[in-house]
Amino acid sequence: MNLFKKNRKIVIQPSPPSKSEPKSMPESNSLRLKLEENLQHIKSSVGESSDIVFREIKIGNEGNIKVGIIYTEGLSDSVTLQQIIMETLMLEIKESDIDLELTSDSAVLTTLKDFALTVGELTEVSDFDQLFTRLLSGDVIVLVDGFSTGFIIGNKSWEGRGVTEPTAQTVIRGPREGFSENIRLNTALVRRIIKDENLWMITKEVGRRTKTNVAIMYINGVAEKDAVDEVTNRIGRIDIDGILESANIEEFIQDSQFTLFPTVFNTERPDTVAAGLLEGRIAILVDGTPFVLLVPALFVQFFQSSEDYYQRAVMASLIRLLRFVAYGISILVPALYIALITFHHEIIPPALLVSLAAQREGVPFPAFVEAIIMEITFEILREAGLRMPRAIGSAMSIVGAFVIGTAAVEAGIISAAMVIVVSITAISSFVPPTYDIAIAGRILRFVFMGIAASFGLYGILIGVIALVLHLCSLSSFGVPYMSPFAPFNLAGQKDSVVRFPIWKLLTRPSEISKNRIRQRATKVNFKKSSHSKRSQDG
Amino acid sequence: MQTDKVTPFQFLVLVIFFTVGSSILYIPSTLTIAVKQDAWIAALIGNLLGLVVIWFFTTISLWFPKLTYIEINEKIFGKFLGKSISILFVLMTLLYASALIAQSSIFLITQMYPETPITFINLLLVIIVVMAVRLGIQTIARSAEIFIFIFFFLFIVLAVSISPQIDVTNLEPFFQTKLSSILSSSFKLTAVSTVNSIALFMIFPAFVNEIKKCRKNFYLGSLIGGAVIVSITMLCIFVLGSNTTARQVYPSYTLAKVINVGDFITRIEALMATLWTLALFFKVTLYFYAGVFGLSKILNIKEYRVLTFPVAAIVLFLSIIIFPNILYQTIFDEKNAIVITTIVGLFCPLLATIVFLLRKKKFKKDPDYANSN
Repeated sequence: MNLFKKNRKIVIQPSPPSKSEPKSMPESNSLRLKLEENLQHIKSSVGESSDIVFREIKIGNEGNIKVGIIYTEGLSDSVTLQQIIMETLMLEIKESDIDLELTSDSAVLTTLKDFALTVGELTEVSDFDQLFTRLLSGDVIVLVDGFSTGFIIGNKSWEGRGVTEPTAQTVIRGPREGFSENIRLNTALVRRIIKDENLWMITKEVGRRTKTNVAIMYINGVAEKDAVDEVTNRIGRIDIDGILESANIEEFIQDSQFTLFPTVFNTERPDTVAAGLLEGRIAILVDGTPFVLLVPALFVQFFQSSEDYYQRAVMASLIRLLRFVAYGISILVPALYIALITFHHEIIPPALLVSLAAQREGVPFPAFVEAIIMEITFEILREAGLRMPRAIGSAMSIVGAFVIGTAAVEAGIISAAMVIVVSITAISSFVPPTYDIAIAGRILRFVFMGIAASFGLYGILIGVIALVLHLCSLSSFGVPYMSPFAPFNLAGQKDSVVRFPIWKLLTRPSEISKNRIRQRATKVNFKKSSHSKRSQDG
Repeated sequence: MQTDKVTPFQFLVLVIFFTVGSSILYIPSTLTIAVKQDAWIAALIGNLLGLVVIWFFTTISLWFPKLTYIEINEKIFGKFLGKSISILFVLMTLLYASALIAQSSIFLITQMYPETPITFINLLLVIIVVMAVRLGIQTIARSAEIFIFIFFFLFIVLAVSISPQIDVTNLEPFFQTKLSSILSSSFKLTAVSTVNSIALFMIFPAFVNEIKKCRKNFYLGSLIGGAVIVSITMLCIFVLGSNTTARQVYPSYTLAKVINVGDFITRIEALMATLWTLALFFKVTLYFYAGVFGLSKILNIKEYRVLTFPVAAIVLFLSIIIFPNILYQTIFDEKNAIVITTIVGLFCPLLATIVFLLRKKKFKKDPDYANSN
């Protein structure tokens, strides 16, 4: 794995700023004294783009103070801008007794700041870098002639999608809210669940050009400090022009770059994020996407749905078991079928073997070729169904089910058993509650089919050993990926393949948080007390 | 990489796999040939004998709890003699790794895949062994933790599904054979399962957490592994009878063949082959790890991983040519292997003990020395 590590370093190392990029301000980046110069510079820097609005006004009793207002149309709230900022500056100042004199000291600025600008979020700015970042994120810039300092007024307004039901991770019972594209809304959704002052947030800007806001959320005292530092560090090392989705961040910060398996969890459900935070995990929210990352992520986590905790423990445990079985089926069943048909007929019970042999009589392909044809067909169907317009979807399913299923069998190209095998595999591959882990299974299935065709059951076993070795070598932010199975941890088994009743889950996962006490044993045995009451009544 | 150490449970699991190894496949017939239906007694005695050997080994290794076996050799015998003995040790582990790979491929070719070239079967195993060793001892130990559950699940399935066909009278009469032949067969088992576990001393005190607990788990693992071997031997005699067992090359495989649950689950021997493939994989991996890691210590190479590919090529080649046929293999196992094991696994450590006791005073000042308590 040494090779891989070296590689990763290269990926993350900050590259020196490229020389081809024209530096707009070679001499200095700070604001000038003269308003015209500043406005001119901004205009030329944004290439006179038409959505950047420049407005020059004159304020003060004699109208001798020139003020420039700059904002991005569509990103700023125009109502606030006109009714509060402009109106105050242009009209109300004159009516009030605020005395504005153009002096060389910063009295004007202070007066404006303290008495005139009736807005909540206001910061001073003196360099163009910050000015541009804030201007292009929708804030309003107010510059005053004669000062090399201006104001930034927080006035972002973006028509977002609002809180809608998550589509990728649906539940039958549980909250219906999902994250949205707006990072503020997302952090608010988490804060609304966890009202603890220890829920801390580190905000970073990633992407030289997109300047995407990234928030790292964790519960102080529960999350491991080292892990938080590591996350902050890894995100800080990213030097790229643009981050478009949390997946971009995920690729940069995952431990092992060369693996099929996801080592960073993602979810669009606030309750899942809250549960993760309470377990000591760290959430990474990225502006512009409803998918929030959770680290450290373990193998079992990808088989757990938030719904497991909202259902009765026995049901939840059985369903979890089912998920693991289904995942095994989706990876191994075509391979096992090939191995049995090609090498190990004796394992198949005689009656079944006769029926299988009869079906395969007219089939011209060996089992492996047959399986590959069917699996690839299915993958094509699935991918096509995902991308095509919804209206055509039903036509697709008819083609898929009828032509490829029934017709292929009747034409004697494919055996009926193969269709069953492919169908059960296909259905099983939709069982894991997270898409990432299901995708890994999709690819592995083909590897196992190949190895089964050449080496039979022995080959499959060797493949499984290699797979387990690979899984055991992975880790997510220092936590072994296969824990609590390997390294084996008895307490961890309470919430891995099965889920114990919630009043039995007294501790947090020991690999993730050192602050382990989660609840003091809640008294749940009400039988005795109610019984004694009844006897008192009687 | 040096920081990740093996936990006591992981060490227990590794010892179990090492002890079971390929013995699960061969030992029943090896023992029944010599002592007939008393084979299980021989197996039992062999395992108890193994405990003594482990006590002896752990005592030596705990004189220097921070060093591997190779480094202990160098410390006790000095540079030249120590390295020579270590080379002998490395050669033995690599030879046994090749021999085990060859054994498995002979089994697979004769029983399951008569048309597959031996080179590819060996290559497949060598590839994952190299992969495992390159990933490090921690990864090997972790995957062993997962596979031990599969191993015992299958073992219990095997034992339960064969149980209707058990005929207890097959064990009778007891103690028909001479005690001396029982003891000599016992020693063979001890040599294969326990004395060879000297390879584990590339891991034992230096790369484990909680040495005391690990030492306990060493005994425990040897006992559990031994119990597996004793019970598989008993099952073979119970079901097949001592004569049939002795006539089989792979008695446990034959045992799995006769499984019949409701006339529906029959002939699942290919699934049961998972049992010994798992154990064999871990034994080969541990041998190979000990060999490569030991070689890197002898050559003073810091990163043992650079040696994995060249050594693997040698092991692969050796595994293809080592046994021209199965008779050759049987003779090697019965005669040559026992001699090699005795020299490297018993004679050398004994020599080390004598030298150590003679020069004890000098070692007491050594910074690596620790009282073994």
